[in-house]
This record gives sequence, C-alpha cells and structure tokens, in this order.
Amino acid sequence: MINFLEVILVLILLTVLLSLGSTRLVALVRIMALQGVLVSLTPLLLKGHGLASLGAVAFYVAMLAIKGVLIPAMLIRAVKSVSIQREIEPFVGYHASILMGLIFLLSAVFMTNSLHLSLPEGRALILICAVTTMATGLFLMLARKKAITQVIGYLMLENGIYLIGNALSQHHSLYIVEFGVLLDLLVAVMVMGIILTNINHAFDDVDTTLLGQLKD
Amino acid sequence: METLLLSLAVVLAAGILPLLANRLFTPIKACYVVLTLLGCGWGIYSLWPLMQLSVPATYTVAWLHPFELRFSLDALSSFFLIPILCVCPLAVLYVFHYMDHKEERQRIGVHLFLFNVLVAAMAMVVLAGNMISFVLAWEMMSISSFFLVLHEYEEKATRKAGYIYLLFTQLGALCIFSGMGVGFAFTQVLDFSALAKLPETAKLWMFCLMLFGFGSKAGIFPIHIWLPYAHPAAPSNTSAVMSGVMIKMGIYGIARFYGLLEISSPLAGQIVLVFGMISGVLGVVYALGKQDIKKLLAYSSVENIGIILIGFGVGMIGAAEGNLPMAIFGFTGGLLHVLNHSIFKSLLFLGAGAVAKQAGTRKIDLLGGLMKRMPLTGKSFLTGSVAISGLPPFNGFVSEFLIYVGAFYGLQLGGVQYVFAMLAILAMALIGGLAAACFTRIVGIVFLGEPRTERTAATQESGWTMTLPLMLLACCCLVIGLWPEPFVQAAFRAYGVMQANLQLDPAQLLEITGKMALGARIFFVLFLAALVSRKLLYRDKVVDSGPTWGCGFTQGTVRIQYTGTSYALSMVEFFRPVVRLSAHYTGISKIFPANPSYETHVDDVAEQALNSGLVTPVQFVLSKLRWIQHGHIQLYIGYIIIAILIALLCI
Repeated sequence: MINFLEVILVLILLTVLLSLGSTRLVALVRIMALQGVLVSLTPLLLKGHGLASLGAVAFYVAMLAIKGVLIPAMLIRAVKSVSIQREIEPFVGYHASILMGLIFLLSAVFMTNSLHLSLPEGRALILICAVTTMATGLFLMLARKKAITQVIGYLMLENGIYLIGNALSQHHSLYIVEFGVLLDLLVAVMVMGIILTNINHAFDDVDTTLLGQLKD
Repeated sequence: METLLLSLAVVLAAGILPLLANRLFTPIKACYVVLTLLGCGWGIYSLWPLMQLSVPATYTVAWLHPFELRFSLDALSSFFLIPILCVCPLAVLYVFHYMDHKEERQRIGVHLFLFNVLVAAMAMVVLAGNMISFVLAWEMMSISSFFLVLHEYEEKATRKAGYIYLLFTQLGALCIFSGMGVGFAFTQVLDFSALAKLPETAKLWMFCLMLFGFGSKAGIFPIHIWLPYAHPAAPSNTSAVMSGVMIKMGIYGIARFYGLLEISSPLAGQIVLVFGMISGVLGVVYALGKQDIKKLLAYSSVENIGIILIGFGVGMIGAAEGNLPMAIFGFTGGLLHVLNHSIFKSLLFLGAGAVAKQAGTRKIDLLGGLMKRMPLTGKSFLTGSVAISGLPPFNGFVSEFLIYVGAFYGLQLGGVQYVFAMLAILAMALIGGLAAACFTRIVGIVFLGEPRTERTAATQESGWTMTLPLMLLACCCLVIGLWPEPFVQAAFRAYGVMQANLQLDPAQLLEITGKMALGARIFFVLFLAALVSRKLLYRDKVVDSGPTWGCGFTQGTVRIQYTGTSYALSMVEFFRPVVRLSAHYTGISKIFPANPSYETHVDDVAEQALNSGLVTPVQFVLSKLRWIQHGHIQLYIGYIIIAILIALLCI
C-alpha cells in the first residue's frame, strides 16, 4: 500500500531542491505553485485531521486557492510586468545551492532526532521536511539578488512554518492562526509586488543590491 | 459618571466631524465648535452632582478580561477636570477665526480631530482608576499632542520641535511605567489602592521615578527642554491647551501618586521643593532673556510649574513633620495655582497667537503699539500679565499668597526644615519680582509705545471668536481674585483626597482667604472709583495726545524706544553663572558708522549640558556603528538568521 503522506513529503522536498537549482523565474513560480498545493494537501493526509466540519473544508479550499492559484498568478504578473526572465549572477551558484539544500536536509534530520520530541507516528518526517523548507527559504532570500526570488524565499519560509504547525498541532483548532499567517502572506506578496514595480521603475532593474543606494 | 463619559464621547464625535467632512469648511467648523462647546458644557453639568458625592463615583469596563479599565472620580479628579472642561472649549472657540485658511482644510480637519482626542484623553487621565487605564489615556494624550505640535510639518524647526517633544514625553512615560512596575512588583495588582502598602524605600523609589516621568511632562527644570521648542512650533490654540492644561497632567500625576503612596518621609517634600525652586527662578530668568513671545511664555510655564511645586513641597514637608496648617496652605495654594495658571497661561498664549497672526511675527522687538490697534486683545493680555505676576486683585495673588502663608508656618519648624521654608519664601519673592519684570517687558514692548515696523503698524483687531475667549478668561482671573472662597474650598477638598487619613480643618484657611478677598475687593472698588472719578474730572477738558516716547520732540523715530533686550539685560546679567548670555557686537569705529549691529542670545544651560554631555558622545559612538546599516537586504536577512541561531542555541 502506498503511503500518500510520504509521497507528498518527498514531492515537497523535490520542489525545494528544484527551486534551488532553477534559473528561470517563471519556472520558479510554477514550482512554488506546486509546492503550495502539496503543502496545503498535507494536513488532509494526517491522522486525526481531516474534513471534520464545513469550516475546515472552506479553510482548505481557500488555502489551496490562495497558495496554488492566487499568489502564483500575482507573481507571474509581476514577472511579466518587469520583463525579466532569469536570475543571473546569484551570490551562491546553482550547483552549490543544491548542495546546500542537501546539507540542510541532513542537518534537519539530525536536528529533529536530537530534539527528542514525542510526536505521533509520521509527524517526525513532516518536521524534517518543514525545517528543510524553512532553511531553504531563508537561504534563497540570502543567496539571490532579484526581488522576486526574495518573495519566493519568503513564501517558502511560510510553507515551512505551516508544515511545522501541522506537525506539532494535535487538533485542528488552529485554523485561526494559520489563516492569519496566510493573510499576512497575501498582503506581503501584494506589497512586494508594488515595491517590485517601483524598484524596477527607479533603477530599471529589480536587483536588490541597488537598494543600498537608498541609504543616507 | 456615565453621563460624564458620554459627554466625552460627544467631544470625540465633534472631532470626527471636521475630519470626515472638511469639504464644507466654514459650516462644518461652526458645527464642530458648537458641538464641542455642548459636549464640554454637558460634562461640567454632569460633573456638578458627582462633586457633591462623598464617595468616589466609578465606572468599569470589563471586556478586556485581565486588563479591566476602571474610571473613578473623586474631588482631586474633579478639581483637575475643571480646567480641562472650561479652558479647552474656549480654545476651540478661538480656532474658528484662528484657522481660517480654506485651502488647508484637510490639515485643519485632522488638527481639530486630534485636538478633541487630546481633550478626551486628558479627561481620561484624570479619571483613570487603575494603572492600565491611566497608561492608555496617558499615551493617547502624548501621541495626539505630538501630532498637534507637528501641524506645520513642512518647516524643519517644527519637525525638530516635534521630535524633541516626542523624545521627552516618551522618556517620561518610560519612567512612569517603570515606576508603576515597581508598584506592581510589590502588590501584584493593577489597582491603585494597594500602593499604600509598599515598603518605605520602594515608595520613595517609585515616587522619584514618577516625579521624573511626570516632571518631563510638566516641565521641571532640567527636563523642561521640550517646552520652549514645542510651544512656539504648535498653533496657538494647541500651545494654550498644552501649556495651560496638558502640562498640569504631570502635576496631577505627582499629586495623585503622592496621595496614593502616603509617603511619610520628608525627603520627598525636600526633593520636590528644591526642583520647584530651581524651575521657578531659572524659568523666569530665561523668560526674561527670550525674544520670541511664545518661547517667553513657555519659559514662564516652567516658572509657574516651579511655583506649584514649591507649594506642593511646602505641603509635603508640613505633612511629614505634622505641621498641618503648613500642609493645608502649601497644598491648597499649589492646587489653586494649577487652576489659576491654566486660566491665565492659556489667556496669554491665545493672546500671543492673536498678535502673531495679526502682526505676522512673534519677535517682540519687531512689535509695538498694539494696545491702540488691538484694544480687546491688549487689555485682556494685560489682565493676564498682572494675574501671572501674582498681583492683587487677580487670581495669581490668591494662590501665591496661600503658598507664602504655608511657607511662613514652616518657619515654626526647627533645623533643616526651617532652612527649606526660608528658601521657599526667598525663591517665591524672587520669582514674583522677576515675573513682574518679565511681564512688564512683554506688555511694554509689544502693546505700548509705537509700532517698530510698518507691518506692525497695519495690524487690526482679530475676529470676535478670538477676542471673546480672551475676555472670558480675563473675567475668570478677576472673579477668582475677588471671590476666591469656593475655589479655595474646591482645592481644599481635592487636597483632602490626597491625605485621606488626616483630620483636616479648613477654618483657618477660609478665614485668611476671606480677609484676602476682602482686601482685593476694597482695592478693586478703589480702582474703579479712581477710574470713574478720572472720567468725570476730565469730562470737559481737552486732552491732547502725542506719539509715545515723543517727550515733546516731534522728530523722534520709533527706534529710540526701549527694546526688550535692553530692558531685561541688567537682570539677566545678574544670573550669569546659570544663564549663558552671548552677545555679538560689531562695534563703532568711524564717526558715521555704516551698519553696526548688536545681538544677544540667551542659551539654556540645561540644554547645553544635555547636548555636550549626552547627545554628542552618543552620536560619536553611533557614528562608529554606521557600517551595520549597509543597505543590503541579503545581509540583513543574514543578521536575522544569526540572531535566530544564537537564540536557539543559547536559550
């Protein structure tokens, strides 16, 4: 019998590694859309979670719509409007980034084991996956120059946080918190979108290193 | 109690009106003024029955579960509510003609809204019955007044003034909150009533923190620096309310926490008295040296806060030493001076605002001869000046006299307290004399003589909504001076709240007040009689008038008049060690000198000390750390990661 949860977690890890190695921005956004969908499917496959109430159904649908459709659509629009195709000259190269991703994965395994949390069966894997996703998100923000990649790193960070919430929460009464985070994210992406066009307008590029010129 | 809070809601609602609908400028402004007046009037009306109650009225809002908001009203609160609900509506009425630039209507709308927020917040500070509601109201008051100061935010000087004010007010709030923290650490409840059970040293620590915190709001000497910046920068209605009413919230805090803590050591009184004397004397000396009319009034506020604190200090020493008459006279005088100062200082600020608006300048050496051009403003300004100098038959005399009586009772005490009482009397005498000099200077230079510039000569009287509040306030000065008994009694009742465990007898207080009032009335009747007889005697005679300072010559120019600087210079020079006086004089070398110039500046010694002792070193250290702010987002994220890792590893 196939364990769907493990399949999904493996897929998430693959998207994480793929995002570290992809140069094209549109592809990166698509990967993020896939990751968003996978992440929002995870709680359905957990034991003790499930489609308990109408509120929960609405929540999962909204989650799926925002993470899988709305945010990627906005990002793609932003990419189109500033007309850049690929991330060139990153601070850390693509192959080195993938290597870093693998190091993150290993250290996440090590960290989760050394924490000795008494988690229900299957949750430890989610925790590993979540920590890797978070670390990769932070790393993407650190290692890339374009503002869009920064946003994507931030999204990935949030996906990681959501997964951690899933791994640690025993009940599904925490929708409020998760929904709050989601709204936060949506606003952040919108604001970043506006800033992005402004940066592009001012510097003819979305390279964040140029922002250093704004310092007084 | 509910009606009182409802009236505050009316005031707030009146403020929202110009914020939303400033398109119809004049009608909405009229609506705003009328509604605010109604709200404040209703507040006073609902205050009346509450003042008759012997137990404090309370109102509790419980929906913030652990943080219950409680408002309570006792005699001390209602005494401080009087200036809030009486002076603020007059300043609101004044706004109608004062802010008449239609093109700035959005900004004015925001200003009026924040003004009413400030009024409501001040009322809530006074009503607050536990720490949470006090802190909430206090912050509302500070923030709204900060934005009021920033009204003309395009000017760099205004922004600087605003930030200096914000710095000091938040520093003060920090001290107040940490003082409350000391109290909470011992009592574990947010309620005020438990504070009396603190150990004696904790009480003293808490009181000193509170004194510093409230002192920065009130403008006690070394931490008064924001006053001479913020008051000139703010519009006059705001500076009138800030100087007349808002800084009294600092005094209210000191009085309230002194009462709650029930301090028995005389040290608190001595500290307050010393700070009062320093603020009083130096405030008036700096006021003498200033050129800007509103800066001068700001320093004069420092002086009056000093007088109030001298009263409180005398009262605290009296209470600690068991000399009850000293305590009663000191505190009642101090509290009455709070009310009096709120009346005449707002009168003077509103008058100064009218002068500045009509004549286009605040520099007193450019004004002159305005008594003939703005008779109503001039006469009410003169009344306020006489009252603030503490001369009979006006209200300033009553409160200062009560403080004197308290200090004289202090001479019965032996040892150190005798010296303190003596010093208090000397300081009061010095302050009185210098204040009279300061205000003869301002009235003499601004309103008497001949106009010094053509712009000043073309000045006209301002609109009726600007002169009416001035006249009303001037009448209040006179009424309290002639019939002080009810006001003294209200102040005495407020003092009774502060010292709940002592049996106080007001008989002696009322007797002395009655005699003083009788004297003031006789003086006033004599003055009126002299005025009437002069009118009668000069009825049929021809009175010829020439230019002021003409002295029979017809060729004199306006420049031979006394200037404000020359009038005050000898007095300011006397205080050289504490007043930095810098003069720039080019000198005269030829028989027909081309452009000789003479300029003096009076610099605040506290500000200079703060600049050289704290600001410059801190700036030096921080400039060495500028490299942290490099502007690279990636490295900023790196900082975050390092911080998270350190936190994870260490904690």
